[in-house]
Amino acid sequence: MAKIIVVTSGKGGVGKTTSAAAIATGLALRGNKTIVIDFDVGLRNLDLVMGCERRVVYDLVNVIQGEAGLNQAMIRDKRVDNLHILPASQTRDKEALTSEGIEQVLDELVKDFDYILCDSPAGIEQGAQLAMYYADAAVVVTNPEVSSVRDSDRILGLLASKTRRAERGQDPVKEHLLITRYNPTRVDDGDMLNLEDIREILAIDLIGLIPESEAVLRSSNQGIPVTHDQSSDAGQAYTDTVSRLLGEDVPLRFHEYQKKGLFSRMFGGGRR
Amino acid sequence: MSLNVDRAGLAFTFKGGMLPMTVMELTSADPERIRDQLAGKLSQSPAFFQHTPVVLNVEKLDEPHLALERICAVCRAHKLLPVAVRGGPDPVKQSAWALGLGWFPPQEIKPRNLESVAADTQPAKEDTFAAARHEETPASNGGRIYRGTVRSGQQLTAPEGDLVVVGSVNAGAEVLAAGNIHVYGALRGRALAGIHGDHDASIFCRELHAELLSVAGNYKRLEDVDPRLLSQPVQVRLSDDQLSIASMS
Ligand SMILES: Nc1ncnc2c1ncn2[C@@H]1O[C@H](COP(=O)(O)OP(=O)(O)O)[C@@H](O)[C@H]1O
Ligand SMILES: [Mg+2]
Repeated sequence: MAKIIVVTSGKGGVGKTTSAAAIATGLALRGNKTIVIDFDVGLRNLDLVMGCERRVVYDLVNVIQGEAGLNQAMIRDKRVDNLHILPASQTRDKEALTSEGIEQVLDELVKDFDYILCDSPAGIEQGAQLAMYYADAAVVVTNPEVSSVRDSDRILGLLASKTRRAERGQDPVKEHLLITRYNPTRVDDGDMLNLEDIREILAIDLIGLIPESEAVLRSSNQGIPVTHDQSSDAGQAYTDTVSRLLGEDVPLRFHEYQKKGLFSRMFGGGRR
Repeated sequence: MSLNVDRAGLAFTFKGGMLPMTVMELTSADPERIRDQLAGKLSQSPAFFQHTPVVLNVEKLDEPHLALERICAVCRAHKLLPVAVRGGPDPVKQSAWALGLGWFPPQEIKPRNLESVAADTQPAKEDTFAAARHEETPASNGGRIYRGTVRSGQQLTAPEGDLVVVGSVNAGAEVLAAGNIHVYGALRGRALAGIHGDHDASIFCRELHAELLSVAGNYKRLEDVDPRLLSQPVQVRLSDDQLSIASMS
């Protein structure tokens, strides 16, 4: 039985798709059979970030409307075994996704996979609600800005009320905070909210912190999820995040301004 | 009659009593791990950590010697007061006594899991997604107790009595009560007490950032509030039909 994890945020452009691709890649690299589904109908770009846009033949909407089978629509990642992508439709409109249709697709996938990641569209409307409805867990992607934190708070309210788990009175959706595009220098300068403020307001457990990084831009242009770039800060931060999702206790990195003196690098770096 | 006279001469009397007590069931003996988890909980539910007496249950641990003194210090640093130890082998009992703590024999029955009441997230149980986040309790006076964060877009009402929020009320959220409103966290959203016109209703919070405060229809917006009161614990009530906000620190 797969765990269904929605990657969501409310606000657009905060790094949901980047994170869904990076986390799915990381989970698969750790040997978990993983599929990542693009719920952003009309604005699909997960396939670009995953570098499989030329291999898209059928999509989620085709499957839901019975025009293609799941196996025809799923794309096997060319770098990692165990990793699959289910793209969204670029040409259909959002109404093409139905709750029953998605339930059928997920029921099918849950049997075969370990993890199902749902890359949510922005907003709090139907598309975002469909992406979260069947989730067991949520990765709430938040940037260190007031508006992003506010939207994440709103999404957390929906997770607690507008999901299948909430409606059935089951254990609530497990909520994880993922802070992305964190820039310690700008936080220090007071241009951005700091880590502790965000944690205090959202009051959920922190699963990871991804620094603002050139590597993300580079990797999405190349269509290679940043998790593959283990020389980069963002790649390492996503790997840490995946370890924590798998239950490991990994210390937080990249939340402090890096240019430390030689001394603190020599003596401060050796700790766990 | 004579009994009364005798009593006046007594310095104390012993009474049997049942007090509610939080049991902290240790599953690790490592003071650092305990510290990390407490630090997380403290930031989530500061209201719980008010020199709260706790009994350290060590039955789940299989350690002949325990760094009991350090564990107690970690607890105290997080405003938990260990008053006794339950279970453990003889050396543990001896060191509890040496530290001035009581010792209880191990119990047979499992205690009710207080976790969901005390703090609202359960870390580290990675394989289940169980985590009771919000707990609703009807209060005896027709009010409500809500444990958890009231989030943007949510509205919480106690139409007949007081509303107690054990957590924060975030910006964009709204809490309303016929009676008083108590927020054991930050109040960043809107709070309206005395919604049926009770002029004696008050609002209390541990950290004031409210977008709007109202008692019986008399209100103040954030911009009307003296900036020195922001981030302070305050009580808000009516005096002469004027909303007055007083610091409680
Ligand atoms: N950690 C990061 N550092 C730098 N740029 C980032 C980071 N995360 C995301 N981005 C960039 O932000 C933009 C939006 O990211 P995307 O994942 O598409 O967001 P969403 O899916 O939430 O709309 C993209 O251009 C992406 O490359
Ligand atoms: Mg996206």
